[in-house]
Amino acid sequence: MKSTKALLAILFALSFVAAACGGSDEAADGTADDSAVTDDSADDSSADDSSADDSSTDDGAAPSDFEGMSLAAESCDYGGELKSITAVDELTVQFELCFPDVAFESKVAFSAFGIHPSEVLEATGGTGTELLESPVGTGPYQVAQWERGNQLVYTANPNYWGEPANAETLVFRWSEESAQRLVELQSGQVDGIDNPGRDDFEVIAADSDLQLLEREGTNIFYVGFNNTFPPFDNEQVRQAMALGLDRQRLVDNFYPPGSKVADQFLPSSIFGYTPEPTWYDYDPEAAKELLAEAGYPDGFEVTVSYRNVVRSYLPDPATVATDIQAQMADIGVTLNIEEMESGAFLDASDAGELPMYLLGWGADYPDATNFLDFHFGIGASDQFGEKFSDITDLLSEAGQVVDADTRLDLYEQATEALKTHVPMIPVAHGGSGTAFRADVTNAQASPLGNEVFAVMDPGGRDTIVWMQNAEPISLYCADETDGESLRACEQVNESLLAYEVGGTAVQPALAETWSADDTGTIWTFNLRPGVTFHDGSAFDANDVVTTWSAQWDASSPLHTGRDGNFTYFNADFGAFLNAE
Amino acid sequence: MTDLTVDINPLEVSQSSSGGLGINLVKELFRKRAAVVGAVMLGILVFIALFAPLISPYDPTEVLLSTEGVQPRESPCIHILGCDSEQPQHILGIDGNGRDVLSRIFYGARVSLTAGVAAVTFAVLVGVVVGLIAGFFGGWIDNVLMRLMDVLLAFPSLLLAIFIVTVFGRGLTNAVLAITVVTIPGYARVVRSSVLTVRESDFVKADRVLGVSTFRLLTRRILPNSLTPLVVQATLGIASAVLEIAALSFLGLGVQPPQAEWGSMLASERNQVFTAPHLVFFPGIAIMWNVLAFNLLGDGLRDAMDPRLNR
Repeated sequence: MKSTKALLAILFALSFVAAACGGSDEAADGTADDSAVTDDSADDSSADDSSADDSSTDDGAAPSDFEGMSLAAESCDYGGELKSITAVDELTVQFELCFPDVAFESKVAFSAFGIHPSEVLEATGGTGTELLESPVGTGPYQVAQWERGNQLVYTANPNYWGEPANAETLVFRWSEESAQRLVELQSGQVDGIDNPGRDDFEVIAADSDLQLLEREGTNIFYVGFNNTFPPFDNEQVRQAMALGLDRQRLVDNFYPPGSKVADQFLPSSIFGYTPEPTWYDYDPEAAKELLAEAGYPDGFEVTVSYRNVVRSYLPDPATVATDIQAQMADIGVTLNIEEMESGAFLDASDAGELPMYLLGWGADYPDATNFLDFHFGIGASDQFGEKFSDITDLLSEAGQVVDADTRLDLYEQATEALKTHVPMIPVAHGGSGTAFRADVTNAQASPLGNEVFAVMDPGGRDTIVWMQNAEPISLYCADETDGESLRACEQVNESLLAYEVGGTAVQPALAETWSADDTGTIWTFNLRPGVTFHDGSAFDANDVVTTWSAQWDASSPLHTGRDGNFTYFNADFGAFLNAE
Repeated sequence: MTDLTVDINPLEVSQSSSGGLGINLVKELFRKRAAVVGAVMLGILVFIALFAPLISPYDPTEVLLSTEGVQPRESPCIHILGCDSEQPQHILGIDGNGRDVLSRIFYGARVSLTAGVAAVTFAVLVGVVVGLIAGFFGGWIDNVLMRLMDVLLAFPSLLLAIFIVTVFGRGLTNAVLAITVVTIPGYARVVRSSVLTVRESDFVKADRVLGVSTFRLLTRRILPNSLTPLVVQATLGIASAVLEIAALSFLGLGVQPPQAEWGSMLASERNQVFTAPHLVFFPGIAIMWNVLAFNLLGDGLRDAMDPRLNR
């Protein structure tokens, strides 16, 4: 603990010195350098990709007075996956893991780990309006103005390291009404919309002025139970409700084409899915018997919460909630429906304050860890109450095994355990889509929901207007889980890696190359040289370390965020460092 | 002993005989064509509300997706208009949850009428007491009570109602309570205004001189003579209350699912305005019918009860 604090103190002292000297721009121009550079990693990078080294040389930005930051855990006993993060040199970052993680690249590419300038994080203290509403990044767009409740306007980043954005201005608008979204698209007020209504698919497909792009159902809609609230502390009650819910009826009547009944939590296109076991068959009589056996022969009354925000996994929230209410009434369970504001709902479910709720999940990256570990792993939130140790053990083991067959076997066991414990009822993998004006080229319906607007050309117009379901909660996505926020962040802040446009494959972003050692526990990322943030400051390895440390280290003064949950980090990497 | 000569107020004369007032009022009312239309429309609504269980073809909460094999948001099917006789008849169609819209509208009439009348009744009761006390006693009591009413009036009524429901929780009861609270000042001011006039009338002065108790004065003399504008205001107020209940339910703060209510029916299908317009059209018509009925009747009552408008 003492050494960690000492390291932290050094880290921040160095940051302040760097800031006082004029930031990393100036630091990069300095000459003297006697900071330690890890020879091994330097060798690794040169072996993997000579272009990185060449660029460094050409750029003339070879490490000079660069003082690399680092943060390390004393040991792995704190329960998390990360052991250390080190800025080896100006353009090299090394992550040491406590155990191999087959999904590490995919996690690193995720937008919750978008890189912020260390100066900005330190100046804002990791929170505040400046960071939450107008973050500085390296992405193809920069935030121009966020009129809360109205629109979010971006302008193209003139110094973008990659292909500049086609449209000079990007505007995000939102409406939870699918009818309004469609009308705005048809009238030409917007260039693209997310999640057309179930009944609007045919209308859009038949309109030659529009294009419909269907999105694969890489998501899950589920009915969640918190096992710390009676009667859901009784496993039989949860099983009875699973038996009493006719999921086929929900999908047949309330979901658009391309949707499927969920046999388990994982969609079939995500690694980790196994054909067996399948979920309980609908049997209301058995459900009533099980309820009686559990001590509720006359049923019970409980509140079910949801947010009236359309998502690809839940295209018609109020209608689905009402049908679930009707179905539960058939087995004697009275549900009182409570509609909540989106942000408050997510916060309450994460905090384990909701006994029963309707929620879902869309893939961030195509691996079981993104679905199962996030929800049921050791670092998951309290949304389902007390964790099930058999499930957490299986998931922890599966996340560290490289062999695919062994992993699948472990995930099959975890799915079986989920069926037994029923922390939730998996209902549907919702098909969804986007719709654009016909003249928009490179339009996408990303399976991960991370449409990239910089590559779209809105028919030669300088502004592309996008209308999604809801307003982002904030633009500091280290501390957000909401898809509408994540998409908005992705235009501004980039991670070390990225997902291919319209796909799921991991590709270079702020890191040009990367590699893991033979043990799979040491990952070295060679950063892209010459990248600058929107504020003009240079991007370097210390920005990566500061960004990650702010999330990882619970004792850091930067570990503040919007509400300080940093849900993704905890779920993906198991635990915070120095958490009390 | 002083010989008191009391000028009889014309209002007093016209209302001295309750039987006469009733007959005259009805006669006056039926001379107004709009009022008759309003009364008939209201009569139909009351009939539907009273006999909803008998005339509704289905239970309003019954989901027919599994039992009848209907699809959500099916168009109306009326056999005599050519709909396939093998299909179950749903005169106003099926809603998004597979329920019969006609039955839900019939049952919705119960909720709207009951809630509207209840809200106005409670508001009138409180408003009358406040207005009577403030108007009759005057002075600091009047000041305190009326400033309280001013505070309530300072907020837009729907905004205040939303605040109250948010604090006390969603649901029909709290929605009625909210509408009650926000409409009290209107009735209190109307009553107070009448009381200020009536209390200076000679017959009231006479009663005072004769030693009639304050309570008797208030209940037997002043209140009956202040009722005319109140009745009109209350009738028109029901229309507003129905609208506000519908608005709260539209916002998800009033009636909770699966109970049928016109505002919540509108809200749940608002996204289908282009693909299934009947689902927003019929609840909208029902709300309009209800409001129009009370407005026409209220206008007619005002005309019938105000002798000056007869000239």
